[in-house]
Amino acid sequence: MLLLDSIFIGLLEASPLILAAMGFTLIFYLNGFMNIAFAESITYGAYSAILFNVVLGLHFYLAIIPSMLLSGVLSVVVYLGIFRPALNRGVGPTEMIILSVGVSFMLRYGLILFVGPENLFLNEPNITYLQFFGMGATNLQLIALVLVLFAAGVLYWMIYNTGLGEQMRGLANNRDLAMASGINPHRTSVAIWFIAGCAGGLSGVFTGVFAQVAPYMGWNVILITMLVTIVAGVGSVRGAVLAAVVAGILTAFITLITKPLYAEVVLLTAFIGVLTLRGARTA
Amino acid sequence: MDYLIFSVSLMLVYIGLAQLLHIQFGLAGIPNFGVVGFWGIGLYGTGVLYVKAGVPLLPAMAMASLLATALAYVLARLVLQRNGQAILAATLAFATIVSTLVVSEKDLTGGVQGLGTIRFPFSDLEQRNLIFMIMLLIVVCALIWISAKLRDSRLGRQLVAIRDNEELAASLGKNTAATKRWVFAITCGLMGLLGGMSAPLHQFLVPYQLSPSLTFAVWIALVLGGKGHNLGAIVGVFVTFGLFDILIETYAPVPAEQAILLPNFKLFCYGVLLVMIIMFRPLGILGVDKPKVRSSTTTPPRELSNASVEKG
Amino acid sequence: MRLEANNLTKAYHTQEVVNIEKVTFGSAGLEGLIGPNGAGKSTLMGLLTRRITPSSGTMKLHIEDKTHPLNPFHSHQVARIGLIKTNQRIQGFDSLTIRDSLRLAATPARAEGFKSLFSGQRDSEEVEEKVARLVEAFPFADRNGYAMSGGEKKLLDILRCLIAEPKLLLMDEPTAGLPEDITRSVMDMVREKVQAGAMRVVVVEHDLPLIWEYCEYVHFLSEGSILFEGAPEEVKANRVVAEKYMGV
Repeated sequence: MLLLDSIFIGLLEASPLILAAMGFTLIFYLNGFMNIAFAESITYGAYSAILFNVVLGLHFYLAIIPSMLLSGVLSVVVYLGIFRPALNRGVGPTEMIILSVGVSFMLRYGLILFVGPENLFLNEPNITYLQFFGMGATNLQLIALVLVLFAAGVLYWMIYNTGLGEQMRGLANNRDLAMASGINPHRTSVAIWFIAGCAGGLSGVFTGVFAQVAPYMGWNVILITMLVTIVAGVGSVRGAVLAAVVAGILTAFITLITKPLYAEVVLLTAFIGVLTLRGARTA
Repeated sequence: MDYLIFSVSLMLVYIGLAQLLHIQFGLAGIPNFGVVGFWGIGLYGTGVLYVKAGVPLLPAMAMASLLATALAYVLARLVLQRNGQAILAATLAFATIVSTLVVSEKDLTGGVQGLGTIRFPFSDLEQRNLIFMIMLLIVVCALIWISAKLRDSRLGRQLVAIRDNEELAASLGKNTAATKRWVFAITCGLMGLLGGMSAPLHQFLVPYQLSPSLTFAVWIALVLGGKGHNLGAIVGVFVTFGLFDILIETYAPVPAEQAILLPNFKLFCYGVLLVMIIMFRPLGILGVDKPKVRSSTTTPPRELSNASVEKG
Repeated sequence: MRLEANNLTKAYHTQEVVNIEKVTFGSAGLEGLIGPNGAGKSTLMGLLTRRITPSSGTMKLHIEDKTHPLNPFHSHQVARIGLIKTNQRIQGFDSLTIRDSLRLAATPARAEGFKSLFSGQRDSEEVEEKVARLVEAFPFADRNGYAMSGGEKKLLDILRCLIAEPKLLLMDEPTAGLPEDITRSVMDMVREKVQAGAMRVVVVEHDLPLIWEYCEYVHFLSEGSILFEGAPEEVKANRVVAEKYMGV
């Protein structure tokens, strides 16, 4: 029963994480650096939802799509304005991460200057509490889970079964060869950054509706997203999905048997352990 | 006056941390994103020993620094031979573990209620905060001196070689893993010492002080100043902390309703500065400094060895 | 001085790259290792210097009357007992000058501890002298600066290994990327050191004239196994070598 409970709660909790991990992984895979500013794709997704849902009064479910797209556009703007020029200048992977910290600061604190540091709340649709097989969840949680799984499925299909996914894998493996065989690196990269931004935005919308919308919400999940991505191996989208699900279930399981704070400690320690065993070696 | 002494003391702590990060990242190429974790072990270690166990301040600091060294050594054993991104994530995770444990272990650390009060040494003197600032100044000067010595030494040269090409350095007989491990452990221990010295500065410890923003502030300062320059840490901290936290926050006439946004404006500017510097001056304001070595790089030409004269 | 490998194999997935029943290097002063592309020469060198972990088999280095089993060693430990390899691909320390790079290689690792922070002079006169002698023997464009061209980097790589004074030096394609006259002066210097009894050398090369000229003993490796060994004249006359390698 404990196991079943934790799988269920874990899946509910992990659903935004799965999307975030997929988006983060796409960029990691394509450009070879960990984009910490991806946290702001999540945050901006949630704030876009505030814009459409609270300010413009759209129904929550209707607000999801434009919020997601806006976050995708932002991701492309940041890529074209900052990351692409930096990559073209040959900035190394560690420096790219530091650069992304700078971008993250710019976006996050720019947002606070613009909308203020207070936490905001989305106008949730009617919530009913459903119970089945002795487990409870709100209808919103279940809809989120289904939507996220659907989005994750679409993303997964796109990467492994479409031309775009093939082009992306080609670019990541051997840029020169891919370009020689006629792949337009510019268009593919823009598409990937857009999709990654959308995934982050969607993740943010759901993270926001389950709790609240705050400037630090993206940052709060980026560490776990980073670890999930590294543990899953460099940019394996399959691995990222799997690792995110395992992380969610593990967290739920430990939370059920101990204090929630320990769940985080155990999870992070486990991640360090996995890194020790299977991280890429330098020498 | 007391506030200025406090600010300058805090700035000295930042300079010290950035100087140690210069050794770790600038010389040895280890991307430590868990600065606040090691500093925090020193801070809370000292606090707990002093408040809960009644250990006098200076021994408490020494013990906490040793603890930070030991933990850094263990972490180094686990992940230091992995690639940079893995080291970065693992150190960040370590710092998060430290701050989470500080919140959860209420009996020891006071949790979110906080832990206090930690007094300055020489508490019966009126100028105790000034004396403590001078102690910090001495420690920071010693760190700068030591890292200059390191830059000019054979060990420093080995670190640079490891950073450039670890496999090649190992193939020439250098035990690169052990060198990195010890340099990392000792510099992290010194970060712990700076944490211990921060305890009486803050007097009252709360988990909020362990947020990753300290790590980022130190990184930003170092990258701005010049990660590969021995004085990069000082310049970077002056440009960031000195300019914003001391000059603007203390002396600029900002209306009260905007003052609350000032820290956010500061961090926004840090972000912009960081992006600009990496795009346009990736080595930082000062660039990289070369070892200053007293050795004969201009030996008079000698006769070529027989082998090369007789060639062909 | 004898480097000995027994039943040495290395397989990637199911592909066996090296499978050697027994081979001994270092009995003669200057030995050659030849073989067609993909014969496993570089893998064998990597195994012997412990950069690559073997699938099975043992490697031992006999120096004077001591025997060092190499299997449990890390690559730096192999280098410390006197077995060093030059690199086929261009490698280097980008932030070290030519002289610093050589000083690094000439300094034993035990002199690079924390104590070295407080020794007044960084490098001893002895090290400086060795470095100067090597730097001035070769036409670097900027002797006080950095190795610029690929050729300079390749030459520096070989010089780094020489200045470290190995007992047994493995040279992985020393001619690749080097001008002919530089190759010859390097090889002459190597031969001189060998004849003085300072070290023994194994050269991996495709440049057969160079092998015939310098080597006293040649091993022929093909498809991961040693198929023939002998003096250059014997190897040249051997039918297997001719068939598998020289395309006769």
